Amino acid sequence: MIRLRQLVAASSKDLQILLAVVAILALVPLGVSRFTLSVATAALIFALAGIGWNVLSGFAGQFSFGHAAYFGLGAYTVAVTFTRYSISPWVGLVLGGLVAAIFGLLAGWISFRFGLKGAYFALATFAFAELLRLTFNNFDYVGASIGITIPLAGGDSWSSLQFEDTPEIRYFVALALVALGILAVIAVKRSRIGSRMLAVREDEEAAASLGINPLRAKLFAISISGFITAVAGGYYAMFLMFVDSDLVFGPFISVAILLRPIVGGVGTIWGPVVGAAVLSILGEVTRSLVRDPPSILQAIEGVNGLDQVIFGVILVVVIIRAPDGVLGWFRRFRKRDGV
Amino acid sequence: MKRLTIFLSLLLSLVLVAAACGDDDAGTTTTAAAESPATTAAAAPATTQAPATTQATPTEPPDPILIGSLHPLTGGLAGAGNRMNNGAQMAVDEINAAGGIASLGGAPLELVPADSTGAADVGASEAERLINDGVSAFIGTYQSAVTTLVAAIAERDGVPLVIDVAVADSILDVGLTNVFRIQPNATSMGANGAKFLSELGGGTIKTVAYLHDDTSFGVEVSAAFAAAAGQYGIEVIADIPYAPFSVTDLTTEMAQAAAGGPDVIVLTGYYNDGILAARAATDLEVDVMAIVGIAQGAFHTPQFVEDFGADSELFFNSNYHFNSSDPKVAAVLAKFEAEFDDAMDTEAMLAYQAIYVIADALERAASSDPADVRAALATTNIADHFLAFPGPIAFDETGENVNAEPVLMQVIDGAVQQVFPLPLRETDPVFPGTPWGG
Amino acid sequence: MRGRSRTAAWAGLVVVVAVAVPQSAWWDMNHTVFAQAVVSGLLIGGVYSLVAMGLSLVFGVLDIINFAHGALMTIAIYASYLLFQNYGLDPYLSLFITIPLMFIIGVGIQRFAINPVMDAPVHNQLLLTLGIAIIIENLALVLFTGTPRSIELAYARNEFDLGVVTLDFPLRLFGAVVSLPKLIAFLVALLLAGALYLLIQRTQLGAAIRASAQEPEGAELVGIDVDRIYMITFGVGAACVGAAGSLVLPFLFVSPTAGATFTIIAFVVVVLGGMGSIPGALVGGLVIGLTQELTQLFVPGSTKFLGVFVVFLAVLLFRPEGILGRVRR
Repeated sequence: MIRLRQLVAASSKDLQILLAVVAILALVPLGVSRFTLSVATAALIFALAGIGWNVLSGFAGQFSFGHAAYFGLGAYTVAVTFTRYSISPWVGLVLGGLVAAIFGLLAGWISFRFGLKGAYFALATFAFAELLRLTFNNFDYVGASIGITIPLAGGDSWSSLQFEDTPEIRYFVALALVALGILAVIAVKRSRIGSRMLAVREDEEAAASLGINPLRAKLFAISISGFITAVAGGYYAMFLMFVDSDLVFGPFISVAILLRPIVGGVGTIWGPVVGAAVLSILGEVTRSLVRDPPSILQAIEGVNGLDQVIFGVILVVVIIRAPDGVLGWFRRFRKRDGV
Repeated sequence: MKRLTIFLSLLLSLVLVAAACGDDDAGTTTTAAAESPATTAAAAPATTQAPATTQATPTEPPDPILIGSLHPLTGGLAGAGNRMNNGAQMAVDEINAAGGIASLGGAPLELVPADSTGAADVGASEAERLINDGVSAFIGTYQSAVTTLVAAIAERDGVPLVIDVAVADSILDVGLTNVFRIQPNATSMGANGAKFLSELGGGTIKTVAYLHDDTSFGVEVSAAFAAAAGQYGIEVIADIPYAPFSVTDLTTEMAQAAAGGPDVIVLTGYYNDGILAARAATDLEVDVMAIVGIAQGAFHTPQFVEDFGADSELFFNSNYHFNSSDPKVAAVLAKFEAEFDDAMDTEAMLAYQAIYVIADALERAASSDPADVRAALATTNIADHFLAFPGPIAFDETGENVNAEPVLMQVIDGAVQQVFPLPLRETDPVFPGTPWGG
Repeated sequence: MRGRSRTAAWAGLVVVVAVAVPQSAWWDMNHTVFAQAVVSGLLIGGVYSLVAMGLSLVFGVLDIINFAHGALMTIAIYASYLLFQNYGLDPYLSLFITIPLMFIIGVGIQRFAINPVMDAPVHNQLLLTLGIAIIIENLALVLFTGTPRSIELAYARNEFDLGVVTLDFPLRLFGAVVSLPKLIAFLVALLLAGALYLLIQRTQLGAAIRASAQEPEGAELVGIDVDRIYMITFGVGAACVGAAGSLVLPFLFVSPTAGATFTIIAFVVVVLGGMGSIPGALVGGLVIGLTQELTQLFVPGSTKFLGVFVVFLAVLLFRPEGILGRVRR
């Protein structure tokens, strides 16, 4: 099991980096507009979702193409418990995580017991997400197609997890959640179950022959993964103040979640955060480029869809030139220096 | 590991730099507001044609007043979204050509377009950006789900939103004070739809099969219709929802609708699925007295008539509409067509109208501060508008336009014509009537 | 031989189910509506089959999950639309242009974008093709704006005197209607399926393709230029979906996202039919088309696709190699 002191000693470097990153990110709210802060908060939420995804798909090697399932479950849990039962969203976040973990265990057990791997497993995860999306769209208890609007508490309210007057607090809470997520990942990575997951990722049969139970390792991974991503989804519900099934269970959410860790570096602790930062900047740069181009490129002003084309091109180039993501590219770069 | 830390720190500093660079616009809010006190007093006796008397000392031209325009400019609904944005731009250009906002010293308007991409979260983010850029008010968004989120942000940040197109009741049900809607809401659409059916049929329409999209749009309108239908002696014998953005064919659904032998088939949905439904009905030659759209996105548009040709004849639609029996509207339509090489639809006209509503509020508020604009919007009373409903544009305490009503239109001789209510009738309806001979 | 009898067994099962289910449902529901669901399902299923075939081929040979498949279809729809609008070229005739055009585009995409990631992990390939899809869709938006347009064939509702019989479109079949464009799409899809099957099974190129799919290294050793085969295969896959694009133009609409719906369905069909199996894609497409329409009857609304995903999951769990695929766990 996890021995706390040994764990802390082994991860001291990771913890140092965590402190440094949190300190830097904590500076972001200084001198930025409310809008930019909003973008940054959303980036953090999706970074957290990606951190969750990374546990299953990066560390345990089971590529998930349907993480929106957990994201949506978290979002809906918070929305329903808050609007129907006046349960504080803080509790809702944890409840959402549990609901998602249970769903992950179920879906995971079904998939793994039937021996699904690789692309087949990925497609199954997609099917599960779509099933949830279609079901919630028809279920009156959760608002069906009309969705659930979360009423404004007005002003700042810790119990309602709304900070309309002070969006900085909303950002810091998101940052705190990301930090907790990273801590969880560090703990998992250094733990025995974590190394079992890595072993399963590298070679499942060899791992099994060493006495590791692959099913248990994968189930552990999927439940942790689902929990973390659901917390992100729950927070997103409070961020948007509205949920509907297309919004939180849709395929583009699944894509958005996996995009960040892949761009940042799959299977690394910091991949999702780096990826989120890069994509956030990239998105804003391309959008403002098309909105307000420099005079040489005047012709592209306001052309709809161009920002997405540029985004797509950059994505393609990054995938081809930096297949291990930003962190991977950096590591290779470092190796070339002969370090 | 140390290098990694350095790299991360640099990357994050980049985030900060990028963020800081993107905030040049944060300053405009204050300058726009500062203008108002200076010019209000002097503007009282002046008209738009006498700039010399309003300003004792000539100053530089007044800063433009920013108005946001948030629509789906990309994605599946981009066609309508871009037309709406164009309509808004045309209104802005016209107002500026006529001298801008007189009470603010001829301050010109500047439209700030934003792209919701058809997604609620992007729309919300863009709304925040617009507010951040210092808009005094904004219009949008064409989709109910997106508008719900955007309205919450408008309310929270105290910047008024004038909804040009979005039908769901639930948007304004929550008691917002900063959001106003020009078009009829879902209840109005559904209830008036039932009323039109009873007037059209003169009591002969007793049963209806309702085919609608399964988003909040179709669900709310059809529910409102069903609730009101009873009082007119109309029964909904089949309610068939479908997924509007993933269907490629509606023949089965249409066959289901026709199976119970209804007097009329009613449709609610967006443009694309409207086309599919029309095709299905035509292929099946459904034996009904008429096909009636209620808030249907296709049957009242010139594009439908153009794409469908002779098969579009006799389709009904009860929907918002520009007042095609008003000559000044014809002039606006012609101008839009000439400028954008595209026929103007009612959605674009609603966006055009929304700009005029804001301009009117700006004039009366004599201030570009969002709070003042909001207060002025609440007391709007515009009789001289471009839309087909009786009475002026005036908002109640929830922000709904009290006089907004749909009109019943029918495609007759290749043109969309208004047939009900009687004061707005352009030609008599053909009923019973379907293109394949009902 | 074992493969053939297995195919026969599956076909038999499908026939039995196809006869038994309708018999029981026949009495419960309106015959016309039921017939319509079956007819519509089969007709659209034919198109699904064609779209899926290309995807199945690409997956079977290159082992790539191509998320840009639907976007390629969009290109073809636009090409046919432009040819129709500007030159009055009938969409079915434009097949002669769109098929080679899409082949070339497919080859180009494989050569310049896909080839570099052939050995990369699956998530990279996925993101790459996703990026390509984003580029294509938004390029279409930039060039043509988002306004959806549709076309109507002048002869879609004509009578055709074939000597022996006069066909008056839309046809009436057991109370269901069969529109001309959909029927043509269905028939041409079957034709192309047959042609593709012949290509793969009976030509030398086909043999090279099959060899490269099963044993790329072995294929290289016997002198097959596997890289070239990959390009050609991707091109053929693109040509299939391109043909589907021209075929659906008369009854769907042109917009940047027109092909996107088909991407997901294509995946479901490919899994159902068996990755790499052309006959499997054919059967799978028809089954999914039917499932879709029949679910609409029994559970209306967006749950039409619920049935599709339930089937999808069931196949993944119980028979991931699909109906006609080879066992490859």
